[in-house]
Amino acid sequence: MKAIESIPDSKLLLFKSCMVGQEYPGIETATSYVFDRLGVDYCVNDEQSCCTGIGHYTDVFEGLTTAAIAARNFAVAKKCGYPNITCLCSTCYAVNKDACELLNNNTEVREKVNSIFREKGLDDLVYEKGDMNPRTNIYHAVEVLLSKVSRIPDEKKFDFSGVKTASHHACHYYKVKYLDVVGNPENPQLIDTVAEACGASPVRWYEDRSLTCGMGFSQIHLNKNTSLQVTKAKLDSLQREGVELMLHMCPNCQIQYDRYQPVIEKEFGVEYDMVHMNIAQFVALSMGADPYKVCGFQTHSVPLEGFLEKMGII
Amino acid sequence: MIDGTTDRLNKAAVFICHCSGNISEHVDIDAVKKTLKAEGISVFDYEYLCSSQGQSLIKNKIMEGNLDRVVIGSCTPSKHGTLFKKCIQETGLNRAGLEIANLREQCAWVHPERTGATEKALSLLRAKLKRLENIEPLDEIKVDIAQQALVIGGGIAGITTALNLADNGISTFLVEKDSSIGGQMAKIGKIFSPDKLAEECAMCSLSPLMNEVAAHPKITLLTWTEVESLSGSAGNFTIRLKKKPRYVKDSCTACGRCSRVCPTLVEDEFNCGYMDKKAISLRFSQSVPKIYCIDPDYCLQLNGEACGKCADACKTGAIDFSQKEEIVELNVGAVVVATGFEEYDASQKPQYGYGIFENVLTQMELARVLGINGPTKGELLRISDFSKASAVPTPAACTSGRESSSAPSSDSSSDSSSDSSSDPSSALSPGAETPKRIVMIQCVGSRDEKEGGNRYCSRYCCMAALKHASLVKKKYPEMEITICYIDIRAFGFYENYYRAVQETGVNFVRGRPAEVVEKPDKSLVVRVEDTLSQKMRELPADLVVLSAAMTPSPGTRKIASVLNLSQDESGFIKERHSKLKPVDSSLDGIFVCGTAQSPKDVTDTIAQAGLAAIRARAFITDSPKMLDNEIAVINQVLCTRCGECLKCPFEALSLNESGRVVLDPLICTGCGYCTELCKDGAIQIAGFTKPQLKAEIEGVLEEGDVLGFVNSGISSLTCDNIGNSVLTYPSNVKLIKVPTCLVVDRDLVLHAFKHGASSVLFVEDPPDSPRAEIIYPLTTRHVEKLKEELGDSGNRIYFKKTYVPNTKGLAGTFIRLAREGEVIR
Amino acid sequence: MKPYVNKFDTPECKTLAETAKKSIRTPESMGLDRCIQCGACTASCPAARFTDYSPRQIVKKVIENDRSVLESEMIWSCFYCYSCNLRCPRNNSPATIVQVLRQMAINEGIGVEKLAYFLEIGEFLAENGASKVPGAGVKNMEKDLGERWIGIKRNLEPIRSELGLSSRDVRDTHGEVQAILESTGYFEREKWIKARIQENKIHGFLKPAGTKNEKKRGGFGFESDREYTGQQALTV
Repeated sequence: MKAIESIPDSKLLLFKSCMVGQEYPGIETATSYVFDRLGVDYCVNDEQSCCTGIGHYTDVFEGLTTAAIAARNFAVAKKCGYPNITCLCSTCYAVNKDACELLNNNTEVREKVNSIFREKGLDDLVYEKGDMNPRTNIYHAVEVLLSKVSRIPDEKKFDFSGVKTASHHACHYYKVKYLDVVGNPENPQLIDTVAEACGASPVRWYEDRSLTCGMGFSQIHLNKNTSLQVTKAKLDSLQREGVELMLHMCPNCQIQYDRYQPVIEKEFGVEYDMVHMNIAQFVALSMGADPYKVCGFQTHSVPLEGFLEKMGII
Repeated sequence: MIDGTTDRLNKAAVFICHCSGNISEHVDIDAVKKTLKAEGISVFDYEYLCSSQGQSLIKNKIMEGNLDRVVIGSCTPSKHGTLFKKCIQETGLNRAGLEIANLREQCAWVHPERTGATEKALSLLRAKLKRLENIEPLDEIKVDIAQQALVIGGGIAGITTALNLADNGISTFLVEKDSSIGGQMAKIGKIFSPDKLAEECAMCSLSPLMNEVAAHPKITLLTWTEVESLSGSAGNFTIRLKKKPRYVKDSCTACGRCSRVCPTLVEDEFNCGYMDKKAISLRFSQSVPKIYCIDPDYCLQLNGEACGKCADACKTGAIDFSQKEEIVELNVGAVVVATGFEEYDASQKPQYGYGIFENVLTQMELARVLGINGPTKGELLRISDFSKASAVPTPAACTSGRESSSAPSSDSSSDSSSDSSSDPSSALSPGAETPKRIVMIQCVGSRDEKEGGNRYCSRYCCMAALKHASLVKKKYPEMEITICYIDIRAFGFYENYYRAVQETGVNFVRGRPAEVVEKPDKSLVVRVEDTLSQKMRELPADLVVLSAAMTPSPGTRKIASVLNLSQDESGFIKERHSKLKPVDSSLDGIFVCGTAQSPKDVTDTIAQAGLAAIRARAFITDSPKMLDNEIAVINQVLCTRCGECLKCPFEALSLNESGRVVLDPLICTGCGYCTELCKDGAIQIAGFTKPQLKAEIEGVLEEGDVLGFVNSGISSLTCDNIGNSVLTYPSNVKLIKVPTCLVVDRDLVLHAFKHGASSVLFVEDPPDSPRAEIIYPLTTRHVEKLKEELGDSGNRIYFKKTYVPNTKGLAGTFIRLAREGEVIR
Repeated sequence: MKPYVNKFDTPECKTLAETAKKSIRTPESMGLDRCIQCGACTASCPAARFTDYSPRQIVKKVIENDRSVLESEMIWSCFYCYSCNLRCPRNNSPATIVQVLRQMAINEGIGVEKLAYFLEIGEFLAENGASKVPGAGVKNMEKDLGERWIGIKRNLEPIRSELGLSSRDVRDTHGEVQAILESTGYFEREKWIKARIQENKIHGFLKPAGTKNEKKRGGFGFESDREYTGQQALTV
């Protein structure tokens, strides 16, 4: 189990996520907005590439390519002096952790990756064993928010009291590296605790809390019906609980719930009352961030205007 | 009595046993006799020296010749060493005057070639004679053992141990941290019988035993008391106990008036918090001792509010708010730890909803709900349906099988409850419905490698689930019960009970459930794959019962650290040997039984508790204890008090008040590590002093021999087993038994090389016992150091770890080294 | 065409279990051999809940070294959600074993069509340093997500600028990602896969209808190899 005290608040490389960048860029700006106000020392580095996650988990990339790309990103992080990789996406988090472990423990892979770097004249990318520690160099942005949760009330401009929220903790955060989760991996509470600090009333338990979002990487394309049934199961449960806001920590899950909620409503003839956002967007909102110029809600599929009006934000 | 320096070998004699041809067929005994006699030594031989005639021969010759040292050439000393020792001691000889040469397992049986065997026999006898040239008498070390025992923990294990000890005449103290003895068994209500295929009243078995404990003249019962510390050593432990104040004197008659007037309600831990009790209460109605106890955290009077209602109500004036905590010190010879288990905290597996959903409970909690003296008086209700029952505890009734009948209780205050079980909607919880479906989940926290889980099987849960399923089914035949299991472990005769429960119509689903889901009406659904039909199932349930693992109780963890006992990775107290010493803890004189040692059921606990009592009794009654005298001896003249030897890994050495190094003979294992640490030669191991070992080396070695120093434990047994296994090795392999190779220093190795050893081999015990776990790494380091220090000669030093079955491997090493020795020559 | 060699994901071993354990995709201390077929994986699996998919049965086939599992449709149903990984009481990891099985299948040219949606990810990554859902997938999403999403995507550049971000999410990797993908053999493999997809298509045309599906069942003998209908699993 990860100790909350061990989470650093300085030298964080805010690891850009492709799905954030292309679907919900507001997650990145909202996270920066919140980090700035919580006194977090971080940087964003354009040299950092995609983690390969989408390709890795659609079986397109082999493990060696993923390891080599990760090694390059580790070199980027170290070179810029911000070695604590902090991910916006749970798949980036899992891929980086897995690759880091592999590069540390598997000499053959490490040497192969390094020989590729040398062969291409990229000697400054060479990864030495232990250059990064998977447990103490790779984090998820929600962990940083949680470690600063006591400061959120000081920065709070809006109180969300009475807002019934539910969290969807991303599978690739707590089911892949389950030994390295804040709290019990069978019942992660990160998002709920942060949401509560913003005044929300989280529904801590609901049926199918641990169910995956249903995206399943290739599944939404290959087995769409099953994929949407999985998504629907959770939405149904939240509807029963009367949840109005579902909070996320991974852009992939957010795509599945936000983008596909209207699809499910249409295809299964159901209606849902809940809206979606990333927990960083929610914290930013509570700190007074502009819903469009900071949180980027205009890229969401389920319109947030109703919620924002009800809250008196717009 | 013996002046070793002047008499030398004038009064020595050698006795050789033929072992009915076992020795004489391979060793030319006449030739040996002739050679030794020519050197002026008396030699006698006999067909069977171990027979009474053989022993008479030895005794007579000692008396006649006024002998003071004897070498016996016979089988291995581990076979008849004690016998021969007793034999010569009967003539008044000190046992230091006896040496045994192993002419059978390490000579006749392993060297088929007669000349070689005869020569080796001669060298073995000579070595022992040489050793006897400079003997120092070995003092008898005697320790008086305190003639009382302490049993920690008043559950079924502790009760059984205490009764067995007391019945065997040992004064026994039984310490219990709660206000009553009875432990977990008092909570479980029913026990099952695999032969009668029925459930019987647990209290009816337990209660008489509890009363027997209270009444036994040899047992001192200390309840509401905790162990603070332990000092001293085996045979003479000093235990400090903290006796908490009950605020009720022994004159209490348990009439219950105090409890009825007490205004304060407290959560009743005995009933798993399902009901409340008063701040002054009995733990349960059959408590022993039957004395009320005040909970100091909640009592108004003790928290500065004027109340005192109980004192006013008490007719015998037993309430005493001025009682203070007392410290009690006991001196005991042996301790038995019976501190038991606690049920695994199932909230660590949130997927099963324990602590989140009201209607998820554990088997132990179900036992309380089903208990006739429990919160619903035995009526099965959904937890979400029953409000906390009234405070005044009602006496338990005894039920057997299907029939329930109330047992008259002599001093009970009210007896109104026993008829309620037939009425499904009792006044207790109006509107409550009996659940219709129960799902039980096995292996919660057991057989689980994940964090927070336990890898072991908890042993009792399969049967507990079957028992509860059967009980419920008998009382509510319409109840739908499903047990989700991975394997049903109904060992031995328990299979009969399993079969009987199957016939009652209980459903079994083979699969480990993924999760429990709560529906808005607080009913539950268990998601599981039926792995036999390969179907996903969603089992609806009104109650989900988790068969939670058995884990060491907080008391077990605390006692293990207070007494400094070895624990296994889960925190259970580790026995010394799982097969041969199942109740000996890592410390001499401290024994363990019941669920403090490992998960087990009542039956196994009682069996093990009996053994613990016997072992503790044997330890205590063996007083004064004659200790193995092959332990460290300190020469105070040579000792510079540098303190190096205090690094003893067993902490057997310490400085006394006057600054002298002293040895605890009960702790010393004679490993010899201190002899290596002491730069002044002030510590030696009795019987294995440097001069003695030097003499033996000189006596045994011929040019080109392989010399093996063999650990006297498992390694020696393995060497003997080479003989037993009809394996052979060259006769120029000579073995010297040592406590461990730590007593063999650089000088001795050089001495061996000087006297012709082609190589020196150390044979050591594997780190398989608590003692060897400490010693083994020391020996490997010791040998590494020797090799380094001796440069080129160091290459002729070898080390081998050996296990008893590994006779072939060890013989192979002997052969290889002997062959290499020849090449060098 | 010869099978593709992918020695890190699918090291050549005598048994499927050995390959699975030695693959760099699986955790180092995986309890595959310790599996007790308790079904906790299947009971926790989202795919198993709505279809006949069963991670427990896949693991059984791997332990039994039944290579027909590679031809089973079943292995293409995993969500990679790692619920089985989290729940297995023996520290086994069906989700990562399935990844290895899919890689082994790909090496044999089996199921490569499933990759068709995603194949341009590598090229896009090499060029831009970021990934995106490739053309085939985008078309799918456009169909499902409709006008609102298409509008959002069309407006993404001004929205990003409004948020103070660069108008496109393009990373500055100095051609290093391109160089890495060249050296790890990614592009060759992509080409190989494309060729296999083509080949399978031609094969499919030549074969009489029906035989292909039958072969794909791989002699599993359990229901899971049925065409996925996505029906609700049986509840009691």
